[in-house]
Amino acid sequence: MDISFINHFINSTANVFSMMLSCPITRTSLALKTGHEPVHEVSSVIGMSGSDTGSVVLSLSKELACKAAGQMLLDDFHEITAEVVDAVGELSNMIAGGAKAQMAHLELQLGLPNVIVGLSHRVYFPGSVRPVSVGFSTPWGPMAIDVGFESTLNGDLRKLNLRQDVAVETV
Amino acid sequence: MKILLVDDSGTMRAIQKRCLYKMGISEDSIVEAENGKTGLDKFIAEQFDLVLTDWNMPVMDGLTLLREIRNLNKQIPVIMITTEAERARVLTAIENGVSDYLVKPFTPESLGAKLDRWVSAPA
Repeated sequence: MDISFINHFINSTANVFSMMLSCPITRTSLALKTGHEPVHEVSSVIGMSGSDTGSVVLSLSKELACKAAGQMLLDDFHEITAEVVDAVGELSNMIAGGAKAQMAHLELQLGLPNVIVGLSHRVYFPGSVRPVSVGFSTPWGPMAIDVGFESTLNGDLRKLNLRQDVAVETV
Repeated sequence: MKILLVDDSGTMRAIQKRCLYKMGISEDSIVEAENGKTGLDKFIAEQFDLVLTDWNMPVMDGLTLLREIRNLNKQIPVIMITTEAERARVLTAIENGVSDYLVKPFTPESLGAKLDRWVSAPA
């Protein structure tokens, strides 16, 4: 898959944080992700399937998650509550949805978000996917987006044990 | 005016309710549902003037809810508020009888402007 897909997620993240939270974000890093551990304490995972298959993980610091939820719900949160979890899930839903709209040719479908709290978990991406990890800073704390996709067609060919050098043109 | 608000996200329901309150809609004029099935059950049980629904929800999604509502009522306004932004998806909703469409994310102003067209607050 064309690596430029990551731009759709970066733009969508900025758009969601601007429109829903009036919160500016600054991209601080962009790299292939190493390891499977989340970067921050609150992670929302959404699966995407279609011509390509993959996942997007939104990882927020506890402070950012609480502040973001407070901004949307006009309340103050200092701990990760059910309301904060729901708000983070909805943020990841909108980010994934916005990016998906820019990749309409892939006919992606989103799964429902699954939010995980705490650092003692691992997120594994499908197949041989090496996700791209984008770090951001915000006035309320740091966050990251990890995105990885694998062409469903290429995945099927590998399952059939065909030669790896067979060129497959992706749309 | 009685409004049915269907979204699996409590956050989204809270944001939409806040907007409706600002428009003069009282709390007891709004009935909430967490998915399309619950929304449909409540739609059948009560009389509503407006339905706001998400698309992607567990149990029953918003498109199925829309179809079920249109089987029962051709006139009631149904607004879809969703992350589904692709043209094909919007056209699908229109073909199934959606009255209006708002893509998430949205600013409070755009949500208010969208609802203003359909909401009649009591005098």
